[in-house]
Amino acid sequence: MTFADRNANERMRAGLIADAEATLRLVASQPVPEGLEERMKAALKNAPRTGRVLAWPGSGGTRGWMQSTLVRTAAAAAIVFVVAGGGWGVYSHVKPAETARVIEMPKRVAAPGQFSSAGAMRTPNGTVPAPTSDVSKDEKDKPAGKSLKAKKPSRAKPGAIKSLPKR
Amino acid sequence: MAPSDVQDESQARANEETLTALVDEYSGAMYRVAYSVVRNATDAEDAVQEAFVRVLRHRDTLHEVRDYRVWLIRIVWNIVLDRKRRAKTRPETDDIADLARVLPATGLSAEARASAAQHHAKVLACVEQLPTKEREVLLLSAFEDLSSVEIAAVLEITESSVRSRLFRARNLMADLLHHSRSGQ
Repeated sequence: MTFADRNANERMRAGLIADAEATLRLVASQPVPEGLEERMKAALKNAPRTGRVLAWPGSGGTRGWMQSTLVRTAAAAAIVFVVAGGGWGVYSHVKPAETARVIEMPKRVAAPGQFSSAGAMRTPNGTVPAPTSDVSKDEKDKPAGKSLKAKKPSRAKPGAIKSLPKR
Repeated sequence: MAPSDVQDESQARANEETLTALVDEYSGAMYRVAYSVVRNATDAEDAVQEAFVRVLRHRDTLHEVRDYRVWLIRIVWNIVLDRKRRAKTRPETDDIADLARVLPATGLSAEARASAAQHHAKVLACVEQLPTKEREVLLLSAFEDLSSVEIAAVLEITESSVRSRLFRARNLMADLLHHSRSGQ
């Protein structure tokens, strides 16, 4: 594209933009309908003076009982009192949950030269339910100490000759 | 009567007078702004009325407003944009054709007038194809009495944004018009 071509293109684009802006200016300069101001004033006279949602009751031109600053302050204080009292009532009736009692176990540190625990954890007695079905009736009758003795597995190999009792 | 009552009454009277003065001075400008968006005389007048009713509800804070013209134009601008958004079902082409017919073309022959109406319709159709931000700035820039600072205040953007959007809008308009012309 030569310089002359580019120049012509630019001129053509400028002309198009000018045409468009002239049209928009025509739209913007449309004549205002007659009596617009009077109609607006009449509409304002008939329009409600206050917002309906947040208006104080009885504030429509006359000074109602709620217009007094003292009454408003008292009403606000009463609302604060009720809300704060309710909050305190709830707070005083709800006890905070007790924290769980946890006994910290000391970490087992392997002495130098010994095997480590390999991450094994000791499970305290009572956390796992003890099997009850295996326990026979006879064992139940026996005292606790004897029962434990009987349960203790024998280290002797099966079929080995038992040593004779000492005389 | 208590002194505070007298003061309140005089304040209310002053507000009423200010409001009447605002109607006299700015309802025309507000109408034109509304018309440029809704392109319908009745809708534009409704929008102006709604704007003044909103002003009436906030008449106690009128003294806090710095620039009434920009403030009022912003109110009516937001109202018409909101209405246009809600009434999307109406076809734009009807409005454009009506408006193109209404636009003044005095001193032209019937043929030239028809051609001018066609040209206006094409331009307005291209304006509708612009992205919203660029279209808004271009529409407001057509109001010769609105500076770029005032346009920025109406749209609540910076003045440099107004200028860059206007630049983009003009380039896009040139492209669209060029395409529509070469497509014929």
